[in-house]
Amino acid sequence: MSDIPFSNPGWAGNTGEFDLTEKEVRGDDFVGDRPKDGGHPSGAGTMPYMLVDKDPDAPLFEGEYRQRFEKILTRYPDKRAALLPVLSLAQELRGHVSAESMDEVAGLLELSPAYVRGVTTFYTMYNKRAVGRYLVQVCTNISCNLCGADEVLQAFLRYTDAEMGETSKDGNFTVIEAECLAACGFPTCVQINSRYYENVTPADVAQIIEHLKPEGES
Amino acid sequence: MRVISTHFGDPLQRRLGTYVERGGYEALKKAFSMGPDEVVETVKASGLRGRGGAGFPTGVKWSFMPKEATKPHYLLCNADESEPGTFKDRELMRWDPHQLIEGCLIAAYAIRAKHAYIYCRGEFFETNQVVARAVEDAYEKGYAGEDIFGSGNDIAVTVHQGAGAYICGEETGLMNSLEGRRGEPRVKPPFPAAVGVFGMPSTINNVETLAAVPHIVNNGEEWYRQWGTESSPGTKLFCVSGHINKPGNYELPLGFPLSELIDDVCGGIRNGNGLKAVIPGGSSVAILNSEEARRCRLDYEGCIDVGTMLGCASVIVMDDTTDIVKQVRRMVDFYAHESCGQCTPCREGSAWAAQIMKRIEIGEGTVEDLDTLMEVTEQMVGTTICVLSDSVAPPVQSSIQKFRADYLALISEQESAGAT
Ligand SMILES: Cc1cc2nc3c(=O)[nH]c(=O)nc-3n(C[C@H](O)[C@H](O)[C@H](O)COP(=O)(O)O)c2cc1C
Ligand code: SF4
Ligand code: FES
Repeated sequence: MSDIPFSNPGWAGNTGEFDLTEKEVRGDDFVGDRPKDGGHPSGAGTMPYMLVDKDPDAPLFEGEYRQRFEKILTRYPDKRAALLPVLSLAQELRGHVSAESMDEVAGLLELSPAYVRGVTTFYTMYNKRAVGRYLVQVCTNISCNLCGADEVLQAFLRYTDAEMGETSKDGNFTVIEAECLAACGFPTCVQINSRYYENVTPADVAQIIEHLKPEGES
Repeated sequence: MRVISTHFGDPLQRRLGTYVERGGYEALKKAFSMGPDEVVETVKASGLRGRGGAGFPTGVKWSFMPKEATKPHYLLCNADESEPGTFKDRELMRWDPHQLIEGCLIAAYAIRAKHAYIYCRGEFFETNQVVARAVEDAYEKGYAGEDIFGSGNDIAVTVHQGAGAYICGEETGLMNSLEGRRGEPRVKPPFPAAVGVFGMPSTINNVETLAAVPHIVNNGEEWYRQWGTESSPGTKLFCVSGHINKPGNYELPLGFPLSELIDDVCGGIRNGNGLKAVIPGGSSVAILNSEEARRCRLDYEGCIDVGTMLGCASVIVMDDTTDIVKQVRRMVDFYAHESCGQCTPCREGSAWAAQIMKRIEIGEGTVEDLDTLMEVTEQMVGTTICVLSDSVAPPVQSSIQKFRADYLALISEQESAGAT
């Protein structure tokens, strides 16, 4: 996603205030172009995208995604260890990990469905049910909280017209509270799909929402 | 003075070509010429201590690994950064990914591992792409993989992405998670150097620890010891957040005075307000009041001297407008949410403490609740599989001891309201 109208990558401590564009800070030539087939197997287990348009019926593990799946398997001594990256792959395509997705993954990795269910439910990043096109996660932990995170969360709820944890009527936004996102020096940190927005104040929220609505992918 | 953060703010540093032009991967070559045991000795002599929170001497940890690799050995990089207040590993990964990769390769070589896994926090989509791309570049140019620089050494590097769970930062929770299991910590012993990930001897280190390794190998232990104190040598990233004019990551020698960090380096407290409290090491250490903060030296021993811990040096500054009860309640909520549930004292204790804190915050608490909180958290210390449980006591107990008036104000408001 390009040209975010507000930009404040914050302070880098004793490197001074950045004299850089936001894209440079985020690594524009490194971020956002990972090949769908996973590229080199060493990095195939990372989940590059959270697709905006989520298709709960998308076929799993076909074409480039099949290749990524095969590459992931080569990096571990057993199939079980591929479970997390493979669940992430399912979520990347479908937007959440449904019971059917879990069963499919279980079959592929020769694990029992009950086992896969037990693991999936342990991890917060696997959405157990469908979410909006944009999943908005507002950190309200201590450092952000000291700097007004609760107001930022309220502003997101207000502008998206969504109930906490529920998806807005237009299907665009699901807003939830998050634990510390490890960007505490740039409060409030908000994760929207796969990217972080830092130094967000309630005054920025309307602009972020407006900017996101027409976008295709994040 | 910067060692590991020298190139923060320079987007070129992510490129392998630039990294190599600036002397990158020389330390790996040097390590290969030294042999594994001499690398371990050098890191041991440098006094480098683990930056993931516990401060365990890194070289000593490496020396626990079997000297003969009769089974596969593994090096794990803990990049699951999620202790509230901590935001250094993400910067290290996104600004200087090759520094970390080189550190991983050297560490893997030293412990005779042929595979290094970088377990990255799942939420770090963008950071993980930077690291994954850098690893790919390293493979392409022969800095990782088989027969590195034609030295005959094979070391694979894999970027593994987590899926959201604070407890996967705990070393054995991370191992279970990497194996495709629930990230529940394991009972120790056996320790990872004997039975680690995939049942094999393993060593786990934090991102910042591994990032310092190439510099130590290049320049030697004496050079590293020019900073810091005898028992806490070297430099450390301090993550400063909260009510501060210039939040951010500051690399400073260990032993640096906390008051100078706040007043001089970080430009003082926002709006010229007074200081109320500081948490020097992330959410699981005791809170300091302003008087203790003035005396605190930021090294492992200096923090113990004022009754707290350095942890991962996540300095959270709170000015005199802070609602301490609310903030402690938020931290306790965090632990209640993140407890993996294996141990009763942790699961029940954190949930109970969170309930009581909430009750006090909304003005429905009693003076007895404070005693109950002290007791509940006391019973959570030293009784469980991992130390997540122990982490609840320091913030709760220190806040009740040092900011009792804040608690009582909420309680007496309620009590007098009830009387009228
Ligand atoms: C609940 C809990 C969470 C932890 N989270 C992290 C973490 O996010 N990152 C980290 O490096 N260490 C974390 N640790 C510490 C690790 O268990 C381990 O000590 C550390 O990774 C060792 O690396 P070091 O010796 O280089 O510090 C955590 C420990 C506990 C008990
Ligand atoms: S102390 Fe808590 S987090 Fe640690 S293993 Fe026990 S229940 Fe899990
Ligand atoms: S407290 Fe919000 S990112 Fe750490």
